[in-house]
Amino acid sequence: MINIFIAQINWLELWNNSWPAGVTMLVLGLGFSIILLIADKKLKVEADPTIERIYMALPRIDCGTCGFAGCSSYAKAVAADPVLLGKCAPGGAACAQKIAEILNLQVSGEGAPKRPIVHCGAKKSDKTYFGKYDGIASCTSANATSNVQACKFGCLGYGDCKASCKFSSITIVDGLATINYNTCTGCGACAKACPRGLIEMVPFNYDKIMTVACRSQESGKDTKAFCKVGCIACKLCAKQTDAFSINNNLSKLDYSKYTPNEQFKTAMEKCPTNTIVYRGK
Amino acid sequence: MEKIYTLSLAFISIVVINNLVLTKFLGICPYLGVSGRIDMAFGMGLAVTFVITLAGSMTWLIDHLILVPKGLEITRYVCYILVIAGAVQLVEMYLRKFFPPLYESFGIFLPLITTNCAILGLCLFLNVWATDNFPEAAVLSFGAGIGFTLAICIMAGIREQLNFSDVPKALRGAPITLITAGILTMAFMGFAGMIK
Repeated sequence: MINIFIAQINWLELWNNSWPAGVTMLVLGLGFSIILLIADKKLKVEADPTIERIYMALPRIDCGTCGFAGCSSYAKAVAADPVLLGKCAPGGAACAQKIAEILNLQVSGEGAPKRPIVHCGAKKSDKTYFGKYDGIASCTSANATSNVQACKFGCLGYGDCKASCKFSSITIVDGLATINYNTCTGCGACAKACPRGLIEMVPFNYDKIMTVACRSQESGKDTKAFCKVGCIACKLCAKQTDAFSINNNLSKLDYSKYTPNEQFKTAMEKCPTNTIVYRGK
Repeated sequence: MEKIYTLSLAFISIVVINNLVLTKFLGICPYLGVSGRIDMAFGMGLAVTFVITLAGSMTWLIDHLILVPKGLEITRYVCYILVIAGAVQLVEMYLRKFFPPLYESFGIFLPLITTNCAILGLCLFLNVWATDNFPEAAVLSFGAGIGFTLAICIMAGIREQLNFSDVPKALRGAPITLITAGILTMAFMGFAGMIK
């Protein structure tokens, strides 16, 4: 079958018709390559290979925590000014170390990656409501309304942090923002989004750390009236270890002092309102 | 005198009446992709204008000096794309050297000018419209670029304003941009039939 087709082709005619086309394209291609090669010589840009290497060391997720438009612009900035080293929260210490090696620098300072912690532990059934809020379903608007819920400090549960999270790591479970630490990169967008400032970026020395899941500065009596799991500043935890300090009717944990030992476990068990909880993986 | 009159008519025609973007809907990719800010849109417009002018006049010359006399019209697309791609490569080198911020902000859209259908479209339209002299082909090519710049800059201006307006959530982003493009096109329909 194919042989018949080939036999019908007049090779001489085909050749006579096609060589000008080939020559035209050859000349065009050759001409352009010569022009482009000359242009390349004249317009060559010296690219800095270290910038490329820094960029490859970064997580390349373009989250913008460092304050630059994306990972490539941060790489450029770091190469020019090493003071900016360590601004990459998702990359953490390992990334800073890598960049420091590329730039021949010594790196020091906190090594633990920072991750957000929601300082509230109240589910819907734990909270007290004065009335019904029917406004726009966002924490920012709800926060501007008085009496949206009894506790002026607790999680509102409308998910401004969830909307800010680029990695879908936050879900609202029963009226409480809950972070999935397996997918969280520690970019800090949620900490900025929360109108009540409940979310704090905390150095995670361990995969799972203890926290006081409350921010209420109301007196113990009021807190108890408003919330079943609020900190009433009873000081029982502070008696166990000096990592807990009581200020403004609120217990605060110094995360740098936290180690998973018996003292902390007892402090957690002694807490009458179960405000001290584990957060993390 | 007669010639200048014809050429200026051709120029006005390609810029507003037969604007490639707004009446033929060619070159939509950069038109929607790079029209976020006016300065970027203007830069893109200039880049396209350069490429389209170079490509339009060169392909006309190649077409009339080599391809048609030799009967090689079937190789048109290959030759045209070769010219366009070469011109784009040149623009890219130039921008990278002298306007690095612009080069960065264009991203993938700069090499994509290679396959910008407005440019290949214009080169092919020059045949469809049977442009028979070189000045006319050059003016048409340049005018097409200016028309593209005009369209993309108007679009960028509107989109900059859109950032401050309360767009319904479902329409934010691409949908409102497409609606804007449609309304803009309708506005330009008013020019149709201005020149016989």
